[in-house]
Amino acid sequence: MGKKFTFYPGCSSQGSGQHLDTSTRAVMAKLGYELEDIADWNCCGASVGELAAGHLPTAALSARNLAQAKEQGDQDVMTACAACYLNTHAVNEEIRDNEQTKNDLNEALGAAGKSYDGSLHVRHACEVLVNDVGMDAIKGAVSNSLSGLKVAGYVGCQTVRPFAGTERGGSYDEYDQPHFLDDFINATGAEAIDFENRTSCCGGSVSVMKPDQTLHLMHKILSEAQAKGADMIATPCPLCQTNVEMYQDKINKKYGTSFNIPVVFHTQLLAVAFGLDATKDAALNQNIIPADKLKAKAK
Amino acid sequence: MNAISPNPTQKYDLSFARWVRDNIDGGERMNMCMQCGVCSGSCPLSDQMDLGPRKIFQMVRAGMKEAVLKSNSFYQCVSCYNCVVRCPRQVPVKYILHGLGRLAVQEGYQPKSNVENARFADAFWWSVTTFGKTDERLVTAKYYFSGGLMNGIKLGLGNLKTALGMIKTKRMHLGAPHKAKNRGELKAILAKAVEIQARHEGEA
Repeated sequence: MGKKFTFYPGCSSQGSGQHLDTSTRAVMAKLGYELEDIADWNCCGASVGELAAGHLPTAALSARNLAQAKEQGDQDVMTACAACYLNTHAVNEEIRDNEQTKNDLNEALGAAGKSYDGSLHVRHACEVLVNDVGMDAIKGAVSNSLSGLKVAGYVGCQTVRPFAGTERGGSYDEYDQPHFLDDFINATGAEAIDFENRTSCCGGSVSVMKPDQTLHLMHKILSEAQAKGADMIATPCPLCQTNVEMYQDKINKKYGTSFNIPVVFHTQLLAVAFGLDATKDAALNQNIIPADKLKAKAK
Repeated sequence: MNAISPNPTQKYDLSFARWVRDNIDGGERMNMCMQCGVCSGSCPLSDQMDLGPRKIFQMVRAGMKEAVLKSNSFYQCVSCYNCVVRCPRQVPVKYILHGLGRLAVQEGYQPKSNVENARFADAFWWSVTTFGKTDERLVTAKYYFSGGLMNGIKLGLGNLKTALGMIKTKRMHLGAPHKAKNRGELKAILAKAVEIQARHEGEA
């Protein structure tokens, strides 16, 4: 306990994913961890940066964040956003493994008098919960059991792919049927349903730009959750949370369904189970489809 | 009786495959592809792709540059990384597709007006270079109107309820964009990276 991380909040932390940011900070503080933000962080490039600008300029975004993180110390860099993790970790790996990229990125950083040697370790908040905190400590922090709630653990894509099973990704779970999210849910006292679509894609940024092509993907996810009697869906990914929540209206129109399933972050569940404040810590006021059954459990 | 095998007169033109190998991120592993189709079979949107990754890789090898770069496949990619983790030959499929998609737009094989992803990516990159951050509101608005005024109004109205929900839950703020502080520094780094990238592309 008492470990410090340099924290990369990412753009969604100031927009659609604020409730992930708030609840992550609350949960990590409760578990005894200190998060110090990268002082002047910028966007990671998400999924579409490369299409607009190519690989190197996109990688330069993460390189600047990493160079700043390094100026703040050698502690590991942690982020809760799936895309931020994927880009920042991938660029860090490339700087370690590819001399050419390392030189190119340092030449780019040099334009601002910065440099970065690849010596930091970039980690996803879920991996930190599994490997550093551990399930026992998580269970130990639960003071307010969520028993009676049935939750569909929806992991999505980029949280686990492509790094969850790799050594430098912490080897904390597998790609197709990961169990860490179910473990978090069960640790709170809630019941994780056997959710086959746990790593099915929500459509990612394609859902933002042309949802007509991806509504069927989200329909499949919601249908299973509903058929299996889930009270809500829990996910660690900010884009999954927004997509699966905000498109339920459009899906209902297209498929004649009547979905109104709350989609929360795993950290919102944990915050409530840790006995933290429903609004200030769990940010339950920021779900468009209110998670009333979770709110009712809050202290 | 055995059929007589044909004598092909057309030879494979490997120049495009070599270019992809040397210039596209991940392209150096493309020659490991053994045409098993796990990538296309794992892709959540392959049914909406005219070719799919497996065919694209073989067509690159066959030198079919124009047919490849006119494909719609690149712009259906949802970045789920199923293809990347499942490929038994460690071909970074997603990265190669994104690289080819950018090339297709750059070389005019895909008119930007037809490629939603290219317009979305431009709106996104504008926000990143201007503010240092993604302003979800402005990226979405800029993207909506990149397809024309009427298209923008139609999309805006169609998503009004969602926008109001986001504002009500304070996931969309109404003030000035959130900005990185030292944007001059970021701009200098990005300009240099663009310059280095162009230098490498010129070398190839």
